[in-house]
Amino acid sequence: MADDSSTSHRRDPIKSSVGNVAAQRRRQNAVTVGKERRESLVRAKRLCRVGATGDGDVPVEENDMITDEAGFLLDTQTSSAVEELKSAVAYQGKGAMQKRVNTLRQLRRLLSKSEFPPVEAALKAGAIPLLVQCLSFGSPDEQLLEAAWCLTNIAAGKPEETKALMPALPLLIAHLGEKSSLPVAEQCAWALGNVAGEGEELRNVLLSQGALPPLARMMLPNKGSTVRTAAWALSNLIKGPDPKAATELIKVDGVLDAILRHLRKVDEELATEVAWVVVYLSALSNFATGVLVKSDVLQLLVERLATSNSLQLLIPNENKLMQRKCTLIVVLRSLGNLVAADSHTISTVLVPGHEITDGVIKVLVKCLKSDHRVLKKEASWVLSNIAAGSIEHKQLIYSSEAVPLLLRLLSTAPFDIRKEVAYVLGNLCVAPTAGEGKPNLIEEHLASLVQRGCLSGFIDLVRSADIEAARLGLQFTELVLRGVPNGDGPKLVEQEDGIDAMEIYQFHENEDLRNMANGLVDKYFGEDYGIDE
Amino acid sequence: MAMEITQFLLAAQSADAKVRTEAETNLRQFQEQNMPLFLLSLSVELSNDEKPVESRRLAGIVLKNSLDAKDAIRKEQLVQQWMAIDVSIKSQIKDFLLKTLGSSVPEARHTSAQVIAKIASIEIPRKQWPELIGSLLNNMTQQDKPASLKQATLETLGYVCEEISHQDLVQDEVNAVLTAVVQGMNLADHGPEVRLAATKALYNALEFAQTNFENEMERNYIMKVVCDTAMSTEVEIRQAAFECLVAIASAYYEVLEPYMQTLFQLTSNAVKGDEETVALQAIEFWSSICDEEIELQEFESPESGDSGPPHSCFIEKALSSLIPLLLETLLKQEEDQDQDDTIWNISMAGGTCLGLVARTVGDAIVPLVMPFVESNIVKPDWRCREAATYAFGSILEGPSVEKLSPLVQAGLEFLLNAMKDGNNHVKDTTAWTLSRIFELLHSPANDFSVISPENLKRVLGVLLESIKDAPNVAEKVCGAIYYLAQGYEDAGPSSSLLSPYLTEIISCLIATADRTDGGDSKLRSSAYETLNEVVRCSNIAETSSIIAQLLPVIMNKLGQTMEIQIVSSEDREKQGDLQASLCGVLQVIIQKLSSTDETKPIILQAADQIMLLFLKVFGCRSSTVHEEAMLAIGALAYATGSQFEKYMPEFFQYLEMGLQNFEEYQVCGITVGVVGDICRALDDKVLPYCDGIMGLLLKDLASSELHRSVKPPIFSCFGDIALAIGEHFEKYVPYVLPMMQGAAEICAKMETSDEEMVDYGNQLRRCIFEAYSGILQGFKTVKPEVMVPYAQHLLKFIELVSRDSQRDESVTKAAVAVMGDLADALGSNIKLMLKESAFYDEFLGECLQSDDEQLKETAGWTQGMIQRVMVL
Repeated sequence: MADDSSTSHRRDPIKSSVGNVAAQRRRQNAVTVGKERRESLVRAKRLCRVGATGDGDVPVEENDMITDEAGFLLDTQTSSAVEELKSAVAYQGKGAMQKRVNTLRQLRRLLSKSEFPPVEAALKAGAIPLLVQCLSFGSPDEQLLEAAWCLTNIAAGKPEETKALMPALPLLIAHLGEKSSLPVAEQCAWALGNVAGEGEELRNVLLSQGALPPLARMMLPNKGSTVRTAAWALSNLIKGPDPKAATELIKVDGVLDAILRHLRKVDEELATEVAWVVVYLSALSNFATGVLVKSDVLQLLVERLATSNSLQLLIPNENKLMQRKCTLIVVLRSLGNLVAADSHTISTVLVPGHEITDGVIKVLVKCLKSDHRVLKKEASWVLSNIAAGSIEHKQLIYSSEAVPLLLRLLSTAPFDIRKEVAYVLGNLCVAPTAGEGKPNLIEEHLASLVQRGCLSGFIDLVRSADIEAARLGLQFTELVLRGVPNGDGPKLVEQEDGIDAMEIYQFHENEDLRNMANGLVDKYFGEDYGIDE
Repeated sequence: MAMEITQFLLAAQSADAKVRTEAETNLRQFQEQNMPLFLLSLSVELSNDEKPVESRRLAGIVLKNSLDAKDAIRKEQLVQQWMAIDVSIKSQIKDFLLKTLGSSVPEARHTSAQVIAKIASIEIPRKQWPELIGSLLNNMTQQDKPASLKQATLETLGYVCEEISHQDLVQDEVNAVLTAVVQGMNLADHGPEVRLAATKALYNALEFAQTNFENEMERNYIMKVVCDTAMSTEVEIRQAAFECLVAIASAYYEVLEPYMQTLFQLTSNAVKGDEETVALQAIEFWSSICDEEIELQEFESPESGDSGPPHSCFIEKALSSLIPLLLETLLKQEEDQDQDDTIWNISMAGGTCLGLVARTVGDAIVPLVMPFVESNIVKPDWRCREAATYAFGSILEGPSVEKLSPLVQAGLEFLLNAMKDGNNHVKDTTAWTLSRIFELLHSPANDFSVISPENLKRVLGVLLESIKDAPNVAEKVCGAIYYLAQGYEDAGPSSSLLSPYLTEIISCLIATADRTDGGDSKLRSSAYETLNEVVRCSNIAETSSIIAQLLPVIMNKLGQTMEIQIVSSEDREKQGDLQASLCGVLQVIIQKLSSTDETKPIILQAADQIMLLFLKVFGCRSSTVHEEAMLAIGALAYATGSQFEKYMPEFFQYLEMGLQNFEEYQVCGITVGVVGDICRALDDKVLPYCDGIMGLLLKDLASSELHRSVKPPIFSCFGDIALAIGEHFEKYVPYVLPMMQGAAEICAKMETSDEEMVDYGNQLRRCIFEAYSGILQGFKTVKPEVMVPYAQHLLKFIELVSRDSQRDESVTKAAVAVMGDLADALGSNIKLMLKESAFYDEFLGECLQSDDEQLKETAGWTQGMIQRVMVL
């Protein structure tokens, strides 16, 4: 009951000034912010239940159940987020755009949340058409960004989930254009990179829809993260096996310059991604390799290798995660590709006595010295290509610091490295040949290497189940038998149990190896063998 | 038997503080020693016509306050206290009160009527005062009783009807009460005092008359009497009758159809020719009809098609007559009307009603108003120009954007030019109209605005020039800038449009805030609030450096307030107001800059200095803390995170002070919120301060002085503290949990007729649940067993709430979440309890079928938690 019952009902006049209402709204807003923070904190606590049980004797399946619960919850959250997005897309009133962005952000967060993002739930709830709608032209940047981000995360899913992005591809490609803001373009590139990483089929779709030229142009400016993402996406896109895309890429105006420019930068991550592009260009397209070799790229790669200390090795077995920090390897692989693809390179660019050649050898030695097997292996592989070159190249390596390292690796390293090392050492001992027939020996090299104990390594290879390695072992054994001065060869081979090793092949299914081994045993360890003793 | 307490009652009103305090102490002692006798003595004092009016007045007030309080917990205590009093003493008190209704002193009669109604509100629902209605009616039916008694009796009946429900009486009594009231309005039988009292009583009894309004014959009769009364010769009675019509429009909208013809005539005549007090009520009648129809439209769900209350389209039907009537009122401006928000006159009420009509009918209003606008806006008489502008500004909400935007586009330039009109009133209304345009038709975030990027420069040019005009105009211009900036919030690329002007806007607003011709602080606070909105809505990527530059400027200004010479309490108030505004700006800047990782360091670097300033602001007052500084500190705590720890030793005293500020309960409420912010910022580093904080919070809860609105958040705050300190909360459990259980029990008993109480009850429930959630989650990993003894009570409370069909959605969410927390934290400990509670399955089922996704999600989680418990 009102004591002041005489006052009449006063409503607020429509014409009022802003001060009071605004202050109240501001205070209200501050209080609401606190409430929201409380809610999100409690929600976080509810979801976080690692090791969270009161009683000690928890059944083992607890964890599964927890994961299921969390997964279930994430799925429900995701489908409801998609539902909200649906209504936000339909809503046109005041604040519509903010509403859309908020719901998109929510969905994106859910999709980024766990190790197993709820992609399936999102697809089931019909996320793709909505996201495509959110990508429509003229949408505000924030919205585009969030939508593309959602798609990126979806594309990171299983193959069929990645394929679900098909309807979104044209718009994602369209937003790569110069008119888009950098963050939007970058996010779209990321999404497309994920799609391209999925496989040949999707790569072909992307190529036919024209994804390559705009991605290539994104590499041109000097914006670190954009270039990195674009390079990453491109390396996925040109993976082939058809070399056409790689050839097309190197033909795009400015791309070669951009590659060189970015390789010169200090930014390791940027250089890595760009080097990946070089890897695929040089691995797939002879045309591209030819163009690259004529540029400064080799020089740059060598410099990179010489200066880089980044040894974080994360092997890119997962194409969809953009966290490849393996600078050295990539650079090395690029170098190797360029050296291997074109013998012309070796004879004209890596001329012995040139500064660059010494540089190459030096960085390769550095790699051989590293603790990382992949680096050692890749370096050996590059060296083996160089060692296959001219007599001068062989002499260069032979007299370098590499040989003792190689010799040690041959006896101690894991098999795959030993095999590469064996190629180097083998190549050092044979002279380049013009025609068919048995290679000519470089006696000095052979004698010295054998004397320094490399034979046992090769004999080990002979015993290997790997046919290629075994052949290499047999070939080298043949060199020793034939070429070690003073006819000491057979004796040395016998000392290293070479005969036993070769006798494995007596009835081997591989005819080539069988004949080779049997031939050697017959020829050098026939009936006359050992009579002298 | 009663004590003589006149002297104490008089002394308690003495101007001498010492005398006053002593008397208050004496009274309190008496009250504590013997409550029944104390109340009896008060009623004796009130009833005795030989006593001074002053002591009787205070006796009545103390008596009333011993029966009712705003705070639900306190009120419940008072009710229990009254019920515990011996029946014979109670009946003596009631007799004295009824006797007082016949007193010759009007004030005593009035107070007694109020106290009777309070007792009735306790006793009638419990059938403990069956003779009250009879004895009141007896006063009315006996011809020879004096008019003053009848007048007081009618007043009492009105208050009693307001306090109780018609279901508390048998229908015959209800009818008899209403008959007595309505007959009291009869011209033939009673003089004006009685008729006025009867009309006011009817106003209070309208809700009580629900069943009578459902009966057509009775309704016709009541309506006829009210309409007749609305044409009384006495203006006060006419006004009271129109007030009844306004209330009827809200309460009985759905049965008004047959009376609308008459009501239109009545209100129309009143608007055109009656005294202002009556005319205002007549306009209010139509505003109330609009309120009803707008509400019907808002809740109308076209797809569900279920039959809610019918929409009678009264406004639409009356539109062609109603609009000219309202437009006429706009021309009745007062000559030198004060340009402030408290002004309320015919033209203001008319414009307000016009705005509501626009919201009710939408597009249909536009062709009826535009001719008035177009013909008047160019007339030489300023009243015409002002009325035209006001009419235009009033109808901007409701009609479609398609309908309005061509008109606004065409008129915008005219309005911009009108900011140079010769008349202050015209400029004031023009600026307000511009602010309405920007509020309603400028939404770049949705790709729509009447302001193109090209004419933004022109618009801002005019606004920044006009902000130098007279203070009232400048204030409205602030409003225009406020909404202009707001439109660009989160507007994607468009949010950049304002960035180039930001520096200039900010410096103009600061210059405006610095003006000294405003008279009071209103212009300054509008300017600062506008500055806040401009900062809040700016595109942070482009403007962070500008905002970063603003920060030291505002800090400097705040520093300068410490230098103000304080001679009078007025100076103190002025300083406080200025500090409030500046702390508000800092709060917004802190919030804005700490929202991105790139800009947060700016705040972190300045945090020490900012905090120093806030502490100085606190230091300016001895007994109270500054609300706005407190709020800003909440933002700072969030920005600094655990770094806030270093400020705690110095700041803690003010936190304590805020928590003890019972009088300025908003301050206390905000401080409670800041405790939450600090808990989240410091996490377990808040531990050293928890004893102090908890002690004060518990005291706050127990206090009957503290406004009830602060209490629910205190429960939530317990949750915040428990979350922060985890197992260390254990020592508070024996104090806190009984409080929570007590509050839960009060919730269960809360009455459901009062809408405000229902809201409060919902808030309280939600906050109790939040407290449980925080405590359970806090103990979850370390010491859940502490909460086992309290699980049963909580479960019962959840069950009770789950059975309440009126429960609010937010309560449902909190209830379902806390159930999950209970299962999550206590695990197998509550397996048996859950097995015995059948309710939760159904409750979860209901929640899982909800349309609210968040609720569904929480229910799903809870279901998972409970399933886990059940299989363990």
